[in-house]
Amino acid sequence: MKQLRFSLFQCVQIITALLIICYVSWSAYSVLYVDQSYDGATWTRFAISGITLGSVYAIVAIGYTLVYGVLLMINFAHGEIMMLGSFAGYLSLEVLAAPLSNYPALAVAIAFIVGASTSMLAGMALERIAYRPLRGAPRLVPLISAIGASIFLQNAAQLIFSPRRRIYSNPEFLERNQGISFLVGGESVVFTYTGILTIILSLTILLLVYLVVQRTQMGCAMRAVAQDRRAAALMGIDVDKVIGQTFALSGAMAGAAGVMWGLHNGIIHHFMGFIPGLKAFTAAVLGGIGNIPGAAVGGLTLGLVEALGPPLLDLPFQLKDVVAFSILVLILIFRPSGLLGEAVSEDKV
Amino acid sequence: MNAVISAAGVWIFLLMIQLTPESGLNCALLFGFLTALLASKSWRAALILCSAAGLLTGAFLQGLSALLSAGVNLRFYFVALTPMYVKALSMPLMPLSYALFGGLGGLLGAILREGLAGARRLSLPMPEITAARSRWLSLLFIALVLLVPLQLSSYWNYNLGTIGIYVLLGLGLNIVVGKAGLLDLGYVAFFAIGAYSMALLTAPTPLGIEWSFWPALIAGIGFAALAGILLGLPVLRLRGDYLAIVTLGFGEIIRILSKADILTPYSGGPRGVRDIAGPTLFGYSFEGELQFLYLILLACFLVAWVTSRLEQSRTGRAWVAMREDELVARALGINTWKYKLMAFALGAAFAGLGGALFAARNEFTGPEDHHLLVSINVLAVVIVGGMGSIRGVILGALVLKGVPELLREVDAYRMLFFGGLLVATMIYRPEGLWPSAKRQHELHEGQTIST
Repeated sequence: MKQLRFSLFQCVQIITALLIICYVSWSAYSVLYVDQSYDGATWTRFAISGITLGSVYAIVAIGYTLVYGVLLMINFAHGEIMMLGSFAGYLSLEVLAAPLSNYPALAVAIAFIVGASTSMLAGMALERIAYRPLRGAPRLVPLISAIGASIFLQNAAQLIFSPRRRIYSNPEFLERNQGISFLVGGESVVFTYTGILTIILSLTILLLVYLVVQRTQMGCAMRAVAQDRRAAALMGIDVDKVIGQTFALSGAMAGAAGVMWGLHNGIIHHFMGFIPGLKAFTAAVLGGIGNIPGAAVGGLTLGLVEALGPPLLDLPFQLKDVVAFSILVLILIFRPSGLLGEAVSEDKV
Repeated sequence: MNAVISAAGVWIFLLMIQLTPESGLNCALLFGFLTALLASKSWRAALILCSAAGLLTGAFLQGLSALLSAGVNLRFYFVALTPMYVKALSMPLMPLSYALFGGLGGLLGAILREGLAGARRLSLPMPEITAARSRWLSLLFIALVLLVPLQLSSYWNYNLGTIGIYVLLGLGLNIVVGKAGLLDLGYVAFFAIGAYSMALLTAPTPLGIEWSFWPALIAGIGFAALAGILLGLPVLRLRGDYLAIVTLGFGEIIRILSKADILTPYSGGPRGVRDIAGPTLFGYSFEGELQFLYLILLACFLVAWVTSRLEQSRTGRAWVAMREDELVARALGINTWKYKLMAFALGAAFAGLGGALFAARNEFTGPEDHHLLVSINVLAVVIVGGMGSIRGVILGALVLKGVPELLREVDAYRMLFFGGLLVATMIYRPEGLWPSAKRQHELHEGQTIST
């Protein structure tokens, strides 16, 4: 009986997979060769926007993955931490625009530092207030607390900053429509400076985080706590301190991502953290949660899928989230541990 | 902890350059509330701290205003300041009023904190109901629920109807999360399927099927249950957070599809579906809020009865076994697939019922009715109320959907309070307000082991 059910399930899986592959390749073929709906320049634009978006997702996703690694909880308020960083960056840019009008690069750098440190502090405070008292409680309890914190932070931001949208005032050398233009098939494609900045900064942050986690003592302690909290405590690691450091690290990254988001997209508001947060979590799961290179790969994949998926499947761009979430559902069904994740033991799932 | 407070203080201070006098008051209130709720050790310390924070805010604004009246061009230094803000600065409130607001926030926070902490210390603030008394109490409760709406205005009956629908949803999710232990964050999808079945099958546009209410209700329940099984089949292999995120994605997919332009001819698109039929029974139509409320109450009683019967059945025990340890449950010969699918389908059916009733009552449904926030609210109802217990779900729905209605007057703080309440409940009373005795026992046992 058991054997039969298993093979039946596999049959269904294989048939679904074949159907999906047929559908995707058929629509991709018709879009690319039969209709030729978009030319090379447009495809390049899609790819550029996908990579930019994906690199922001990647650093937010690493925040989720780090926290999940040490605490085994979804930090639902991570998107809101990003929002706070974005607002702090916005405020410091506004304040510094006049005094530092001759050194715009310095103003941007300070905005990044202020954004990252605000988010870092907010992340640490969040951990202290909303998560630390809940150590050892059943899994659902910290999740609900995180959801509550997320709602609280959104509404606090709304009360403090007022619900209206703000527009990031980029300095001149980072104007949102300026960039390096190059020719693809006779048409010029602009790679905006903000996009380039976002990608380079994200890559730097990825590298730094990887080095911190792999090479420093702090990172070593984090990995130890992620592996086995009790054993780590027995080895003399201050688990609470390590968890605080993890939140600080992931918060700082979210803050930097928030400032990038503001510089690149321009508009910020109190509700902005929600969707990127959700997407970044999706990216983290996509890559295999708890796995840092996985989060980076997942973020880039998700960004590219969002940008290239709808035109390839000949769907309107309105449905990009449907494509993204469908990919997530499919990957989890066929490969439950994510793209780069290894099978996790029972008590960790 | 002091470090956190000072960090928060610095942060708020940084934000002050963006404050107007009114949002300064908000800030003072908020900061006071937070400090008292989560940080300080005693009432007095909380009050002093919060008033000081309020005073600081006030003094800051006063200082800015003094600079302004001294002729300093503030907008030159603080480009962020809008002309309106500068105008508002010329007449700031007295620092004392900020202190008052800070203190008020502190007082509220301290009361909430003491209340929750007291509830934990006493450990059983909710009356323990013995089997003998339970029948009388439920009869009393039912009589109360049936009689009270007659005395209320139609506005409150409408709100009670919403609470009733949340009770339905909560009872459904209670089966999935509380009993079977499957974390479903996309529960709103089934609600949406119920609502849209009702809408599309009875409304003249866009499909023009125009069934009457009752067959559409049954279809809504059926479609939702079917969707539960179809979603359940592939994803039940996943566990814990993976299941949560897949269901969440499913909920978003349904919502986005319901407002997609390409589906507008079939689903009504972003503008939703109007003119949904109301129920009629033997020529009598349930038109007023009161009549519809009774219909919703009937559905609640029905669902509560089904749930309580299931709780004590073989199925209910299988669910609990599965939630506690799936491997052991399987080893004991429980067909976990069957029971998981059953929990999913049943939970989805209840949500479909809730959705169909909701759409029929409002005579409208649209994509914004089916936001992710609904899933989160329902989950909060189940968990704040007390996971796994029917009375807990009812209490949770009353508190979480009723209290915000009472707070309509202070609309701006409503959701803020809701978020804070969720965090505080989890910290001070993780088993929920009125848990089943068994669950409470389990939780406290777990705590003693872990410490």
